[in-house]
Amino acid sequence: MSRPGIADDGDELHFCSTCAFSAACMEQGYDKSELRQLHVLVEHIGPFREGEHIFREGDPFNAIAAVRGGTVKTYVTDTEGREQVQGFFLPGEVIGLNAISQARYPCNAVALDSVVLCRFSFPNIAALAGRMPGLQQQLFRLLSQDIGKASLLAGNFTADERMAAFLVSLSRRFAARGFSAKRFRLSMTRTDIANYLRLASETVSRVLSRFQDDGLLRVERRDIELLQPAQLGALARSVLRE
Amino acid sequence: MIQVRAEPHAARQTRPMNTTPLFAADVLRKYDLPGPRYTSYPTAPHFGPHFDQRMLCEYIRCSNAEPIPRALSLYVHVPYCFSPCFYCGCNRIVTHDRSKGRKYVDRLVREIAMAGPLFDRDRKVVQLHFGGGTPNFLEPRELREVLAAIRSHFQLDSSPQRDFSIELDPRYVPEGYIAECAQLGFNRASVGVQDFDPEVQRAVNRIQSIEQTVRVIAECRAAGWRSINVDLIYGLPKQTVAGFERTLDTVIGIRPDRIAVYSYAHMPRLFKAQRQIDRADLPSAQDKLRLLQRSIEKLAAAGYVYIGMDHFALPEDELTRAQTAGTLQRNFMGYTTHADCDLVGLGVSAVSHIGDSYSQNARDLAAWEIAIDQGRLPVWRGRHLDFDDVLRADVIQQLMCLGRIDIAAVDRRYDLDFRTYFADALARLRPLATDGLVLLEDQRICATSRGRLLLRIIAMCFDRYLNESDADAAEQRFSRAI
Repeated sequence: MSRPGIADDGDELHFCSTCAFSAACMEQGYDKSELRQLHVLVEHIGPFREGEHIFREGDPFNAIAAVRGGTVKTYVTDTEGREQVQGFFLPGEVIGLNAISQARYPCNAVALDSVVLCRFSFPNIAALAGRMPGLQQQLFRLLSQDIGKASLLAGNFTADERMAAFLVSLSRRFAARGFSAKRFRLSMTRTDIANYLRLASETVSRVLSRFQDDGLLRVERRDIELLQPAQLGALARSVLRE
Repeated sequence: MIQVRAEPHAARQTRPMNTTPLFAADVLRKYDLPGPRYTSYPTAPHFGPHFDQRMLCEYIRCSNAEPIPRALSLYVHVPYCFSPCFYCGCNRIVTHDRSKGRKYVDRLVREIAMAGPLFDRDRKVVQLHFGGGTPNFLEPRELREVLAAIRSHFQLDSSPQRDFSIELDPRYVPEGYIAECAQLGFNRASVGVQDFDPEVQRAVNRIQSIEQTVRVIAECRAAGWRSINVDLIYGLPKQTVAGFERTLDTVIGIRPDRIAVYSYAHMPRLFKAQRQIDRADLPSAQDKLRLLQRSIEKLAAAGYVYIGMDHFALPEDELTRAQTAGTLQRNFMGYTTHADCDLVGLGVSAVSHIGDSYSQNARDLAAWEIAIDQGRLPVWRGRHLDFDDVLRADVIQQLMCLGRIDIAAVDRRYDLDFRTYFADALARLRPLATDGLVLLEDQRICATSRGRLLLRIIAMCFDRYLNESDADAAEQRFSRAI
């Protein structure tokens, strides 16, 4: 029952260890109190409850936010009202980056469980980045990761490859934030996973069942345990462009 | 249902428990205390009123959202009986008015139509059980209507592995009834016998000939059904050791795949029907123990394997195989190989177990009818299972099904230290260990052959609610262990 909680080592003054900005800022000798004095760090917000929106498509863009706890889903709705899941954001990851080029958020962001965020005013952090090369680099890095992530699944991949890539990516992202790489909880629904991977819901379950039968992983309700990460990694390789 | 988290995690070594219970009269007498049967944990008295249709729908929605949603097990309750058996503690209504069955089926069909669409379509129904009351109170065409509704609103497994069973009262099974049931997809039956002794049958108001019983079971077999079960009861009024031995011999001669030997719990305050039974006719505690002892000895000698609680099965039956493989489970329908499903209860008083919730339909027929007529799911009470409930349910399930708890597996699975978390339970187990019911080892807790008949007493040590409330309350709610 591994359940990453809030990255609770941060507070109003100190960065969370998972924060996407902590390394860049601290390298420059800034801590949160200094960022706040520069009017960059706006606030801790949340908790948002499951199903609650953090922003909606078309809302004026003014801030990016780092996830401190919980999982955020971003999605757009097509003209027929069909939802298209764009991504899932875990603790330490930043939402709102794809709005930077525009004045409005180009997607919706919704909490999948109890979510708390650290909200950065974008005009302010952008201005600061001009004076702080490390922070600027970090912003560029985050931006390109965000763009890369969105195009990963566009190729002609099998259901097995897509599912393996999804799990391997989650595993690595959890591990990067100090959570278990092998045991984690899927806070997104099966419909969301299916939508994101462009598979039918039944296919998600069927592939996971087969992985389980083959001893690659164990699924217990929403908890996943990766038993053969190397084999899953091999399956995921083409999707993850490795 | 002590249900819960089947495999992956918990102890599932293939070592079967020592399946032969040792009949130790001294400990049986000492520990013949009232306690739950743990077909669920927490037990039904702990379901609360703050559970409504909206909550049930939310649990269903969450269950659909799991990466691999569980398969479904449907329980359909038919409350009617033609005749009152005096020992009965079930929710049932005695009548000869067939039109009641007709009206009941009309509403049942509506309930099925409300419940079915809430579940994702790819969630297969792998287990279906009609219980009662007397399911064969319904006429074949009524059964057909119910099955048709289930088929159109759920996806029924059609493979031979499906487990679709019906409880039968052989006194009211007309020729051809079973063939009809088989056509509808049923492939198993549980047949009530209780005791063939005419004296006992008169005392409990259930006159049922051996011939009737044999014919029904023969028809089940002719229809290709498997895992046929026969229910017996010991401790009934006028029962004698000699008479019950004859019943056992007859039943062993019929050789059903499974035999359940239930202990009669005389609780006339709780069950009105039992007030017809004269307490003076009940066997003494000593005789009751003898009845149990002879049952165990005779069934073992005839090749039946002890599954747990009241249940015995032939070695080739899937319950026995599941026990050997460590995959046996327990739910509201008793021991099963399908407890890893979400359970959907349909009909008056039926219990559902969906995700981390238990819920129960209105127990009162009128309340159930009103809900259906108003287009509501007839849920009456229920409860959410928190982490502690889920953990204890798992531990109790391991005990009830496998006779042991794998401590390291629990630690790993729930990310805790068993000895610290369950320090109270371990303290409560110590006197049981001294009496030789249970072995407290480093890595596991294991029922001994002396303790095998007292699994529920061992499990009670882990029941938080029982140990919070006083023993008097238990006395009123639960039957005794033996």
